[in-house]
Amino acid sequence: MLKIINSEIYRLLRKKSMYVYFCSLAAGYFLVAFIRSGGFGPQSIVSDAFNFFNFLPVFAGGFLFSAIYTDDLSAKNLTLLVGFGTGKATIVLAKLILTALCGAAVFALAPLLLYVAHAALGWPAAAGTMATVCAVSLKYLLATLGYSALSGIAVYGLQRTTFAMVLYVLLALNVVSGLVTVLLVNVFGERLAQILTSCLLSGITDRILGGIISGGPIAPPAVEYVAYLAIAAAVSIAAFERKEMEF
Amino acid sequence: MAKTVMQTHNLSKNYGELLALNGVSLTLRQGDVYGLVGRNGAGKTTFFKCVMGLARPTAGAIEIGGGGIEIGGGGIEIGGGGISLSAARRKIGFMISPSFFPYLNPKESLEYLCRFKGIRVKGEIERLLALVGLDSVKKPFKAFSLGMKQRLGVAGALIGSPDIVVLDEPTNGLDPQGIIDMRAIIKNANTQTGTTFIVSSHILSELDLVATQFGFIEQGVLLTEISHADLHENTKETLTVEVNDSKKAHAALCRMGAECVIEDGRRLTLRSHLDRPHEIARALIDSGLELHGLHRQEATLEEYFIRMIGERDAKNN
Repeated sequence: MLKIINSEIYRLLRKKSMYVYFCSLAAGYFLVAFIRSGGFGPQSIVSDAFNFFNFLPVFAGGFLFSAIYTDDLSAKNLTLLVGFGTGKATIVLAKLILTALCGAAVFALAPLLLYVAHAALGWPAAAGTMATVCAVSLKYLLATLGYSALSGIAVYGLQRTTFAMVLYVLLALNVVSGLVTVLLVNVFGERLAQILTSCLLSGITDRILGGIISGGPIAPPAVEYVAYLAIAAAVSIAAFERKEMEF
Repeated sequence: MAKTVMQTHNLSKNYGELLALNGVSLTLRQGDVYGLVGRNGAGKTTFFKCVMGLARPTAGAIEIGGGGIEIGGGGIEIGGGGISLSAARRKIGFMISPSFFPYLNPKESLEYLCRFKGIRVKGEIERLLALVGLDSVKKPFKAFSLGMKQRLGVAGALIGSPDIVVLDEPTNGLDPQGIIDMRAIIKNANTQTGTTFIVSSHILSELDLVATQFGFIEQGVLLTEISHADLHENTKETLTVEVNDSKKAHAALCRMGAECVIEDGRRLTLRSHLDRPHEIARALIDSGLELHGLHRQEATLEEYFIRMIGERDAKNN
C-alpha cells in the first residue's frame, strides 16, 4: 500500500496542470478579496471561510478526485496495479488514504490563504478566529473525502470516467443530498426526515463542525462519518471484485 | 527439458454465451519466447487477461512459477510453492495496450513503475530507455506516436527484470525499423538475462524470427503447441519441378537418390537435393524430359496457420 501511495504522490507532484489550477484558484480568491476589502471587518475572515470553503469540495476536491481516481481510468493504470498482483482492497484503501493526504494538504493551505489575504488587506485574524476558520476547512475536507469515497464506487464498479466525475460533482454540489431530503420529506414527513437528513454526509459534517465550534459531542458524528467511509470502501471493493478490468 | 514457469490447465472463459477461451492448456518453459498466434478475437488478449488476473476464468487453473494456482469458476486461489498467485504475478512484466499517465515523460513513467513495484536498481530506468531508444525523449506520453508508446510499454514490462514478460501485439503500429528493434530487444533480453517471453502478434513472419515455441489459438481453442524446429520441419522447403511427364521424371530423380512425390501428371515435389537444383535440371534434361519449371517453395507461418484452421473447420463440419 505504501508503494502505491509513494508512486501516486510522485506522479501527482508532476502533474503541472495541478499547480496552474490551484494557483489560479488562489489568485481568483485574492482578486475577489481585494475587490471586497473595503467592507472587511474582524470577523469577515470567518464568513469568507464559510462562503468560499463551501465551494472547495467542488473546485478543489473535484480536481483532486479527477487526478487521483479518474486519471487512473484514462491511463488504464488500474490494469497495471491489478496485473502486478495488487489486491483490489489494497488499491481502494490506498486511494482513499491518498485522497485524505492530498485533501489535508489543500484544506490546510486554504485557511493560510485566507489569513494571508486578510492580513495583506489590513485585517489579520486572531488565533481564536483562525481556529474557527480551520474547523470550517476541516468540515469541507471531511465532506470532500466522503464524496470521493462514495464516487469511488462508480470508479471501481463501472470504470467509467464521466459517470464517476458527474456523480462526484452532484454530491459536492449537494444536489444528491437535496434530492434525498425531498424524498425523505415526502416519504416520512418533515419531523422524521429532519432526523434522517442529519445522518447524510452533509448533516454529519455539520454536526462535527458544530461540535468543534460550540464544544458539543463529536464522537457520535465522527463514528457515523467513519462508518460512511467504511461502507463506501467495502462497496467499492465488492464492486471492483465483480467488475472485470476494462481495456 | 527446461522447467515450466507458467502453465494453464483447461482454462476457459465465458462472456455470456460467448466462449472466449475453451479449455486452453498452455505450457511456458523457462527461456522460451512463446509466440501466441491467432486471428483477431481468437482469445489471445482474453488469455493474457486471465493470466494477469484482469479477468476471472470461468473454469480451469493457472499456475505461475510453480507457485500459486488459481482455480476458475469459484475463483478460489490456492497458495502453492509457498506463494500465492498474486505474489507469483509480481514476477511477470506485461504490456497489454500500452498506457501511461499523459503528463509524464518516459523517465517519469518508468520512475512511477519503479516506485510502485519497489524497484531500487540504480541506472535501471536509463538502461531500459536506452534499450528501447527513448533515452533522449523528454516530451510527455500524450505527445507520443503509437510506436513510441509501444516502446515505452515494452520498457515498462521489462522493468525490474521479471522472470516472465507478456507482450500483446508489441509490434503494433511500429515502422519496419521499429519492428527490427523490437525483435532485437526481445532477443537480447531473452539471451542475456534468460527472460521468458510470451508474445502475440499479427505479423506472423515477424514472430517466426523471434519465437522458439508457438501456440496456435482459434475461437478460444489452443489448436496446437509446437516448437520452432518442429514447425519448420512441417513447413520445410521443397523443390517443385514442372515437366512434360512426371512419371518418367520420378524414375529419373529416384535414380539419382532424390526423395520425390508425384503431385500430378506434370508436377513433382522434391524434399531432398534442395541445394542442388542444377543437378536435378541436368538429370531431367539428360533423361529427355522437357523442363518447364523448377522452383523452391516453403510454407510460411501464415500458410501453416491457415491450413491448421482449415483442417479444424473441416473436422468440425
